[in-house]
Amino acid sequence: MSEPLVLELEVKPLDFLAAGETATQFKETLKSLGLPPEICRRAAIVVYEAEMNIVIHGGGGVMRLQVEEDKVTIMAEDEGPGIEDLELAMQEGYSSAPDFIREMGFGAGMGLPNIKRNANELYIDTAPGKGTKLRAVIYLNKGR
Amino acid sequence: MKVKEICEKLGLNVHVQGDLDKEVHQGVVGDLLSFIMRTAPEGAVWVTIQNHVNVAAVAVLKDIPFIVLASGREPLQELIDSCRKENITLTSSKEDAFNLCGKLYELGIKD
Repeated sequence: MSEPLVLELEVKPLDFLAAGETATQFKETLKSLGLPPEICRRAAIVVYEAEMNIVIHGGGGVMRLQVEEDKVTIMAEDEGPGIEDLELAMQEGYSSAPDFIREMGFGAGMGLPNIKRNANELYIDTAPGKGTKLRAVIYLNKGR
Repeated sequence: MKVKEICEKLGLNVHVQGDLDKEVHQGVVGDLLSFIMRTAPEGAVWVTIQNHVNVAAVAVLKDIPFIVLASGREPLQELIDSCRKENITLTSSKEDAFNLCGKLYELGIKD
């Protein structure tokens, strides 16, 4: 493919019933392009965790999937409250999710760490009051 | 072991029949979705007490074909619908996760 394939989906805030749909749809797209199952699974984890962050914390936003010859790029953007202490948020087990969400099995404090584990590159642009932009890159010819 | 054999031997209530002839050799147990996202092996049976539609989403993303709801949780309609759409076998049991995992282990589901 010469032109990158781009897929964009809106993520609604606190819509737990729809949550997971973006990830499912993105994974289907990657599978239909014939990408290796391992890449599809890693990308799906990144998309799911980013999607859940937008649902729980971001007040809704947009997810974008870009597929090029050598890499898959996942972008997640919201205009939510932003992340105050990114280093803390990257720590496994740290979560600012409210209790009712934790009771559903979310908010384990593993979202961002899971994204980091599965992506080859991770960039997060955030500041309090400025929303959050996340970009994760998975290279097709590199392992984790 | 085939999904349907496990259902029979554990006396599970089957709410959605996915691929009942699918072979399952591994299992995972847990209620934290991100933990399952990280640790679940592909093709595993998943024992959980979480009962909402995101359980199906995580199963799809991790290629989990078989879900067991423990401790008498009866699946919500949305979860049933979602599993049906995705061809995931959805079952429930009155037994708790600890006992279910013990029985799965005895059946040879050991990883």
